[in-house]
Amino acid sequence: MKEQDLDHCYTVLSDALAAVGGEKASLLLATLSLSLIVRETDAKIVLDLIAQAGELART
Amino acid sequence: MGPDPQTGAPPLPVLIVGGGPVGLTLGALLARHGIASHIIEADEAYCQGSRAICISRRSQEVLAWVGADRPLNAKGLPWTGGRSYFRNQEVLHFRMPTEPTERFAPMVNIQQYFVEEYAHQAQDRFPGKCSVSWSTRAVATRPTADGVEVDVEAAGGHRETLRAQWVVACDGARSAVRDHLGLSLEGTQYEGRYVIVDIEQESSRAVERLAWFDPPSNPGSTVLMHRQPDNVWRVDYQIRDGEDPAEAVRPELVLPRVQSHLDMIGETAPWKPLWISAYGAKCLSLRSYRHGRVLFAGDAAHLVPIFGVRGLNSGLDDVGNLAWKLALVIGGASRDDLLDTYSTERLYATEENIAYAAKSTEFMAPPNFAFELMRQATLRLASVDPRVRSLINPRQSSQCSYPAAMLGAGLPGGDRSASPRPGDPAPEARVRTTDERTHLTQYFGGGFIALYFTDDRPVPDSIALRASASTQDVATMTVVRIARKGIPDATTVVDFIGEAWQRYGAHEGTLCLIRPDGYVLACWDQPDWQALSSVLRRILTGQALPQPRLLVGGDA
Ligand SMILES: Cc1cc2nc3c(=O)[nH]c(=O)nc-3n(C[C@H](O)[C@H](O)[C@H](O)COP(=O)(O)OP(=O)(O)OC[C@H]3O[C@@H](n4cnc5c(N)ncnc54)[C@H](O)[C@@H]3O)c2cc1C
Repeated sequence: MKEQDLDHCYTVLSDALAAVGGEKASLLLATLSLSLIVRETDAKIVLDLIAQAGELART
Repeated sequence: MGPDPQTGAPPLPVLIVGGGPVGLTLGALLARHGIASHIIEADEAYCQGSRAICISRRSQEVLAWVGADRPLNAKGLPWTGGRSYFRNQEVLHFRMPTEPTERFAPMVNIQQYFVEEYAHQAQDRFPGKCSVSWSTRAVATRPTADGVEVDVEAAGGHRETLRAQWVVACDGARSAVRDHLGLSLEGTQYEGRYVIVDIEQESSRAVERLAWFDPPSNPGSTVLMHRQPDNVWRVDYQIRDGEDPAEAVRPELVLPRVQSHLDMIGETAPWKPLWISAYGAKCLSLRSYRHGRVLFAGDAAHLVPIFGVRGLNSGLDDVGNLAWKLALVIGGASRDDLLDTYSTERLYATEENIAYAAKSTEFMAPPNFAFELMRQATLRLASVDPRVRSLINPRQSSQCSYPAAMLGAGLPGGDRSASPRPGDPAPEARVRTTDERTHLTQYFGGGFIALYFTDDRPVPDSIALRASASTQDVATMTVVRIARKGIPDATTVVDFIGEAWQRYGAHEGTLCLIRPDGYVLACWDQPDWQALSSVLRRILTGQALPQPRLLVGGDA
């Protein structure tokens, strides 16, 4: 993904989170994660990313 | 506007309200074009305290048109990149575009009062063309049918009315002229606040932009540091949610936070605070920068957040755009609608500046929980996945391109596909000349320049009209031949490393017409001198100079 597109997605996602509010933010993020997961054919990649996100969230 | 009915004094050609960096630079630029102006400044001297420190390459170019680049670069600290840390770990190392052959560093750090001093001193190079009244403020502005009257009040309370053909409001964020005309800025104000502290401390650290997110010294905060000349550090930090900005600047709160951070990064020399203030990001602009005979520039026209350093830099770009246009209109070489293009072009630049600065602000001062959450995620992920690091990049000020259609020049045949395209900044190149000039941009800032890329073709006689001295350099065009080999002469510079040909996408015969402010007006793959003249005549339409004077070589 190009830097500009990444930038744009970042802002749109942040705005979407703000729009649903703090309580529903994790539901939005979980839904988005699932949508992205089903687009990935290699489960190993997904599992590694889940593990990585889990570790980073603990820091 | 005729002479004053009471005193018989003629009106000032230009009255500049506000002698900050933008107003003082405008006075010098107009003086270079032979246009007299008078500046009134409410304060008794240059600004104090913490203001702009990062001066872009483009700003250095604009200041160079009046020779103010020399003291600036002698004093300032050049830099090319920076580092961002999440806690103790480096998560971004960015570099701005830079070349060993460049004329100016992408950024120079220097206190704003030095910029004001150098711009003011530059006016002395053009004696009798610019004067400043300190401790004098505008208290009322009245547009008339053919000019503007401004009531001013000096320190002792003495009042008088100044009459001018044109007024340029450079009176900053709280512009009085804006109020006098009943205008207001529109846009967004952000919640997040920063404390800005300048401290004096010796350091041998490299000059870079340094940013720490959630540093152990100040958990949860963001700290920025920049070196300035005279052993001064600029330290900016984000204040905590809910913290009162007025409270947050109290030294007993500020000094321990700074000390803790200096300890963390190992800067152990003794230090003392010089200045403490609070700052909140704003993205605001007027809808138009021209209101009849009153023009707005700098913070009076627009306010952008400091992240990305676009405030002063965009103000200098404003007056770089305005000065030559105003000079042509006052000199009678152009119609006054040329000044409408000042407003449209600079409004376009403001939109771009605001878009970039708003993005930087979203990251540096997250406006709500969502941006805060995304920032937390980005900083963590950046340590393991370089692809997200661009999100942390501060998007430093860079020169904007204007849409070609905005130039109002009409482009018969001048619309080729290669870059640079009309509206782009004319690229820099290292060249060899017969004088002390070493770079192509040193030819800009005076009149129009035709860059003629050819190894051996002469400039046609019909163009080499006459090398007569012009009354107004800004209404002339200089042809600069750019050859790839040979030795330079009065009309030819040598592109000995090929940068110019490459950056202009040139072939034998390519012709590019450059505006006085260093923007490309039109380029032709084959030299169409007829078309070039007609583009020029669309700008130089006035009565005073029925046709452009064309010079070859010589002083630009
Ligand atoms: C903490 C901080 C850091 C910044 N860092 C950067 C940076 O690194 N890079 C950058 O590009 N920008 C930066 N900026 C923004 C930059 O300081 C401003 O954009 C810049 O000062 C604008 O210049 P100006 O001449 O338009 O306005 P000002 O500097 O505000 O000057 C306006 C002048 O008009 C005078 N005036 C006001 N009212 C009247 C009146 N009625 N009559 C006569 N005179 C009047 C004032 O006294 C003042 O001298 C920073 C700003 C702040 C606050």
